[in-house]
Amino acid sequence: MISDIKTTEISERIAKLKSNVLSARSTICTERAGFYTEVYKEFDGSPVILKRAYALEKTLKKMTIFIGEGELIVGNQSSKLRAAPIFPEYVISWIINELDEFDKRSGDAFFITEDQKNELKEICRWWEGKTLIEKGYSLMSTLNREIHDSGIIRAEGNLTSGDAHIAVNFEKILTIGLEGYLQSIELMQKTLNEKDVRFFEKQDFYNALIVGIKAFQTFIRRFETLSFELSECEPDPGRKSELVTISKICSNISENPPSGFYEALQLTWFVQLILQIESNGHSVSLGRMDQYLFRFYKNDLILGKINEDFVLELLENTWLKLLSVNKIRSWSHTRYSAGGPLYQNVTIGGQTLDGKDAVNELSFLILDSVGRMKLTQPNLSVRFHKNISDEFLTECVNVIGKGFGMPAFNNDEIVIPSLIDLGIKRADAYNYSAIGCIEIAVPGKWGYRCTGMSFLNFMRVLLAAMNNGLDEMSGKTFHSGTGNFIDFNSFSDLMLAWKNQVEFYTQATIEIDTAADLALEELVPDILCSAFVDDCISRGKTIKEGGSVYDFISGLQVGIANLGNSLAAIKKLVFEEATISKETLASNLKNNFDGKEGEKVRQLLINNAPKYGNDDDYVDNLLYEAYMYYINELTKYHTSRFGRGPFGCRYYAGTSSISSNVPSGSVVPATPDGRKAFTPLAEGSSPASGTDTLGPTAVFKSVSKLPTNKILGGVLLNQKLSPSALTNETQKQKLISIIRTFFETLKGWHVQYNIVSRDTLLAAKKNPQDYRDLVVRVAGYSAYFTTLSPDTQDDIIARTEQSL
Amino acid sequence: MLTVFNIQRYSIHDGNGVRTNIFFKGCPLRCSWCNNPESLDPAPSIMFDERICHRFGECLKPGNGAIVLENNNLIINRNLISDTTIYDNICPSRALIVSGQEKTVSQIFQEIEKDIPFYNMSGGGVTLTGGEPLSQGPELKDLLIQLKKRGIHVSAETSLHLPWETIENYVNLIDLFLADLKHLDNDKFTKFTGGNATLVIENFKKLDETGSKFIVRVPVIPGFNFSSIELSAIIDFAAGLKNASEINFIPFHSLAKEKYLMLGKDYMFANQRNIEKSELKFFTEYAEQKGLISKILN
Repeated sequence: MISDIKTTEISERIAKLKSNVLSARSTICTERAGFYTEVYKEFDGSPVILKRAYALEKTLKKMTIFIGEGELIVGNQSSKLRAAPIFPEYVISWIINELDEFDKRSGDAFFITEDQKNELKEICRWWEGKTLIEKGYSLMSTLNREIHDSGIIRAEGNLTSGDAHIAVNFEKILTIGLEGYLQSIELMQKTLNEKDVRFFEKQDFYNALIVGIKAFQTFIRRFETLSFELSECEPDPGRKSELVTISKICSNISENPPSGFYEALQLTWFVQLILQIESNGHSVSLGRMDQYLFRFYKNDLILGKINEDFVLELLENTWLKLLSVNKIRSWSHTRYSAGGPLYQNVTIGGQTLDGKDAVNELSFLILDSVGRMKLTQPNLSVRFHKNISDEFLTECVNVIGKGFGMPAFNNDEIVIPSLIDLGIKRADAYNYSAIGCIEIAVPGKWGYRCTGMSFLNFMRVLLAAMNNGLDEMSGKTFHSGTGNFIDFNSFSDLMLAWKNQVEFYTQATIEIDTAADLALEELVPDILCSAFVDDCISRGKTIKEGGSVYDFISGLQVGIANLGNSLAAIKKLVFEEATISKETLASNLKNNFDGKEGEKVRQLLINNAPKYGNDDDYVDNLLYEAYMYYINELTKYHTSRFGRGPFGCRYYAGTSSISSNVPSGSVVPATPDGRKAFTPLAEGSSPASGTDTLGPTAVFKSVSKLPTNKILGGVLLNQKLSPSALTNETQKQKLISIIRTFFETLKGWHVQYNIVSRDTLLAAKKNPQDYRDLVVRVAGYSAYFTTLSPDTQDDIIARTEQSL
Repeated sequence: MLTVFNIQRYSIHDGNGVRTNIFFKGCPLRCSWCNNPESLDPAPSIMFDERICHRFGECLKPGNGAIVLENNNLIINRNLISDTTIYDNICPSRALIVSGQEKTVSQIFQEIEKDIPFYNMSGGGVTLTGGEPLSQGPELKDLLIQLKKRGIHVSAETSLHLPWETIENYVNLIDLFLADLKHLDNDKFTKFTGGNATLVIENFKKLDETGSKFIVRVPVIPGFNFSSIELSAIIDFAAGLKNASEINFIPFHSLAKEKYLMLGKDYMFANQRNIEKSELKFFTEYAEQKGLISKILN
């Protein structure tokens, strides 16, 4: 299949567009903030869903639109390329506080003019007391607010942004078109009975949806007009005809289902774009693109309307569009998701419902186009299964070899059975896609945030367990413990203390999630996103009110490896060998391994106890046991949609901690694994930096011993390979063979590869201007290395380089 | 007991597939370029890495005068250490380690077992190396029998500098011999390795007669065999063996430099530049002409 592709280089057009996006500096756009504020003021007494519909309508009708030179796929998010819109309804406090620092950030800087600053100050004044974060905090109990402020649980991302972390029903959108949606909404509205207990809410909901869909159509028609106008004065006949085509495409898809591949891809992008104008939630994902676009591709290819080179150009143009979407986050939250990506995931591969390999020609083209572009977007995930061809895997490895961290692999062999176990319908389970980095959901049927809402810092919990419940960082005892470590008589006392604390904090995470959920539901319901997720229209509910078919949320735990390593070190060195006394350990954790004696204790903890990631049952089993206390507790709770429509409404574990291991570590004192205070925690389910000394097979074994079938929020494993790893076919085949073993035999969940040398990273840190295109996978996604903050850069450099 | 100084999983430069390398201690030769100088002594060896020493002083505590601190320099008198076990894990930072541990067959087998799924998928297995693995005691045979029973593929890197009877003992238990052919000239062989080329050459012929599968391995060492005359002769000899289908060249590199320092040993190749793959092009082509599959390993 792949041999048909002659060109390995991107076209001149794409190269130019790529350079435009990469060289565009991040700025701020105030248009959306202005329109939303005006509408909210004007319709102050109206139901929130209608206010939001009108605000979206005004934005889509009035915002600046443009078509870049040479663009084949059109549609912009804000007034300028890479300008981040402001979403004042979610939060304004950090905007006001950080306004003057936007352009001075050590990573992810945004440039802003004085006029814009003044405009934003004016806008923000109106929003004071009305935003999501204020509502969210007011819904939290005093205790939970204190826990949140202490940093043991972090939920800031849910209170400063929309939800997203979702893939809508592209299959259906491409089948019935926007007019089809409009008709089905109007039909549902007609059948609405006044005796319905939610009659008024449903009326408002349907009215809002109609306003939203029509505004979306208007937005597309604006591009129809613009491209036509541009074509009129375009001197180059080739470009003129392209603009006429774009105009015709927009004309058709503003109402009808797409008639071919080009139209289908353009509509897909418009939907993806609109969701990110409506809300600033990230991880808006595209689902199984190689599946829902394939029939258009195949048909056009047979008709001779497209060829592979043209398809590659269209796809590459689309990836640049994904990259053009920008988001400004508060500085404290920026540190949790370094590099500023939006985690727009594209999933390819996997199986058809009858268990056959679903890889098709378009899968190859998507893979290759992503490989040729080497961008941070989309996040490309490949669904592995045992019947996937070596031909496709080899192509995946070739792209991995380009060293920008993609594609990542998710494993059907564990995910599908786990989904079916949860009660997901077989056909839906076989149709899952990755969301954001590594998390999974059934596209178009699953609610927001399968990825989880709040981060639970496992190591702060362990330290509290050792201190009779006292959290030393805040000086508070949120939940009284079972005693002090120095009074524990055996290791099982420690395990009980952990159980006691982790169960309490698990409940706290749910309560904090629920506060955020209720605030999001009440203040910032999404209109178009709800329209495109089943069964919101038939239920007459937004997703947040319980409109989705399925609703499962994961917890997010940080410090998995550190937890296992700490428990193993204590068990072996304190209770079994008694080489370190309880008092010595306790005092060293307090004084951060101070002085030479402290360093000696630290070295013993590091070197004389087993470490997770080395296939050592001693530590791997302890981690399993400790983790299960959390998982068992988590399964007792429901989400705020329980009993309101969706199937599930439950929680499961997840470790897709993004780059939060760095800031999460920055609030944790010294830990019993020999980690010094305030240094990064281990990321995801990967081993702690530099502790996996036995190579990738041992890491795979350790990771697969986790209760992976219960961690549906993702078992994130990053492996770093040196660039020499894939220099010849034999080495590539060896890599494929260990990936196959990890997935087929060991039932691993996920793996992705960073192929970069340490020296390159050091050089890039020193001379960022020379390494602008250097992309690094940071825990589940890619970022430009040079845009990462220095401490994240250091963490990447410190991670063990596997000798492949 | 078998003396092992490393069990290295995910070894991918030592034969087919993903392999676990078992590094055995003890060697009949003393090749001056040896990459694993810690392998030579059959007994455990003390290695010390100055760079990560914190001067905790734990290694001074036995008080036997073998390890002392003079002007803040750690002096190790290896000749005074008769029992290395007192130094096992003594150093918290692992600046001082004891290389080489006595292990039972089942201890070694347990480690090998862990990667069986990877051997199966990749067509890999176990590689015995060292040191000279075949100079281990009779328990090696027990290990090999166990591996055979489990159907795990076994390769063995060997100098063939052993009595033929020893080698013959293992012929049916080793699937692939990776046999070193360092030089054909007896004087030069003796000068650089302390051994006897004739023994190796005769063993090659005998091994060839058994019908065993083997690959000829040639370390390419400057000043020793890195000349067209010497390497051509080696290739000619290999080509004359009826069961040698493949020859591998291992160009000299000085990665072992730090290890010599850590063992307190002199290294005559410390300042020798590495041989580049490209410098061996002629020889690989020559070997191919002679009908041998030819590879350069690194």
